[in-house]
Amino acid sequence: MFDGILAGIEVVFSFQGILFVLIGVIVGTVIGMIPGLGPITAIAVMIPITYGMVPALALLLMAGVYYGAAYGGAASSILLNAPGTSEAVATSFDGYPMAKQGKAGKALAVAAISSFIGGTISVILLTLLAPTLANVAISFGPPAYFALMLMGLTAVSSLSDGSTIKALISATIGFMIATIGIDSQTGTPRFTFGSAHLLEGIDFLVIALGLFALAEVCSLIINRKEKGTDTNKIGSLRLSKQEFREMSTTAGKQSFLGFLIGVLPGAGGTIASLLAYVSEKKMSKNPEQFGKGAIKGIAAPESANNAASGGAFVPLLSLGIPGSGTTAVMLGALMVLGVQPGPLLIGDHPDIFWGVIISMYIGNIFLLILNLPLIPYISKILKVPRPMLIPLVIVFCLIGVYGVSFNTFDMFLLLLFGIIGYVMRLFHFPAAPLLLAFILGGMMEQSFRQSLTISNGSLAIFFTNPISCVLLIIALLAFLLPILKTWKRKKEDNQSSQQSA
Amino acid sequence: MLNTKNKKVSLGLMVVSIIYLILSFRLPSYAYVPIDSDVIPIALGFILLLLSIALFFIKDTGEKVKIPMNDLIPILIVLGFIFFYILFLELLGFIIVTALFIFFCSWYLGYKKFLSNSLVSIVLPVAIYFLFVSFLQIQLPSGVLPF
Repeated sequence: MFDGILAGIEVVFSFQGILFVLIGVIVGTVIGMIPGLGPITAIAVMIPITYGMVPALALLLMAGVYYGAAYGGAASSILLNAPGTSEAVATSFDGYPMAKQGKAGKALAVAAISSFIGGTISVILLTLLAPTLANVAISFGPPAYFALMLMGLTAVSSLSDGSTIKALISATIGFMIATIGIDSQTGTPRFTFGSAHLLEGIDFLVIALGLFALAEVCSLIINRKEKGTDTNKIGSLRLSKQEFREMSTTAGKQSFLGFLIGVLPGAGGTIASLLAYVSEKKMSKNPEQFGKGAIKGIAAPESANNAASGGAFVPLLSLGIPGSGTTAVMLGALMVLGVQPGPLLIGDHPDIFWGVIISMYIGNIFLLILNLPLIPYISKILKVPRPMLIPLVIVFCLIGVYGVSFNTFDMFLLLLFGIIGYVMRLFHFPAAPLLLAFILGGMMEQSFRQSLTISNGSLAIFFTNPISCVLLIIALLAFLLPILKTWKRKKEDNQSSQQSA
Repeated sequence: MLNTKNKKVSLGLMVVSIIYLILSFRLPSYAYVPIDSDVIPIALGFILLLLSIALFFIKDTGEKVKIPMNDLIPILIVLGFIFFYILFLELLGFIIVTALFIFFCSWYLGYKKFLSNSLVSIVLPVAIYFLFVSFLQIQLPSGVLPF
């Protein structure tokens, strides 16, 4: 093992090695900022470029692109409220409010540093635990997945302020939208109204950009004349000592959670960032700050999703199973380079195995060194006057959608979801539960039906499986406790008002 | 009876859930699976129906919904701009449509610097086009332009 690590270090610290990580990080950040082009596209674009390169060097480039793209996604979430990938949705909850308050620089710095912490912790855990964890991950069956996702979903409904019922309605509608398209088990087309464009379902991007970015554009149009609003200021990057402590403890804790969720094949980064956000809010002494620009609200999802992307390498490198869309593309890239990931990789190609892991350390460090000084330039976006910014954001969203689907039908859908998103805002329906239920819905339905297929239709399978049973109980508690709390508070209020009367 | 906004919204949602339920019950059945494709949709339809009935009986919170009538006009006009953008995208091509869109939309919203506006509306679409087509290998509609 030691020789392998040395071989890996030798590759990474060569002139070429450092150069490639550097190029990867820059290209990745730029691509990641464009909505619709997340880490998956960024890596896919790099595949033809790496033809014929030494595998270890090619992987360095990819690792750089991977981290860079994840960071770029966070930047467009924070600055424009336009999460380009599902992993970046939770970052916009507090990132965008913070940018609105004129602290965009700080928000981007927190995102960069927490990503760094998340990435670093996950790489350390990966180095230590890869072989052991792979065994745990394959023991997660469909019932446990269903329970995990249900837990994520109930957490969402308690996540939004305002009425729980509205959050639940919004989540149900999101789930309903997820049922549009061909059913994966029976091949029945559902709710497609005969349209061929709807057979594959609606793309995540259409809903995310519609509900978040276009709805925000509508609000911007109304306030377009407010001059010198706080968004024009970028603010300093400096974090006070207390802010730094807040951020690093949060990021430290959530990195562990994120890594563990990332190890499970499935929606790694998305579920990880979401659960991190919710659990941080639950544990916080002042949860009311969340959603209004809390530093912890950025640190938690950013550290968790970067840690999850490291965790996703566990099943990839040790079992050859890709745990997420991005690692699936990575797997393709590896095979193009003639490397077959799996249990034999560590023994046969120690330079590659350790090269990948060490390049992740380096990629992380470069990301931090590069991005902190770039923040003032990236946040210049906010200095664009609003009447000019609005059409640019719109074009940004439209190209994002076109680049994924190549037809105008999805663009009209984007427009429709923009209107829905704005109407939801007017009536105080939270948009986040809808989007997250949409993302999780398809997978939830699948694991639910797989479980029932295993048990021949008996619901008992969710309770006889210990992992899923525990997760379901947590989900139920997460859902009931806030309701009980408000109920109790109301009762007390009533009593006190009666006493005073 | 329909004096509060919760009641109005909830009625609308009930209609949605009933339509969704009708469509779900009409899904063709498939004999060889224990759980057919209509189970989850039917469950979701009933959940939404229950939730919207619950919403009907919940008192409005203090926050008033003011639909800003005067503000709706610029929003509708911009949405109209977007509609025509999409409509003409594949006919005229990305560069031309985007240039026109950026120019007129920002002009309408009150950006009156003619020179910088025209500069942005020409340079940006061209730059994005070549970034996508040459570097990222993502084909954008070229339309009437020869390249």
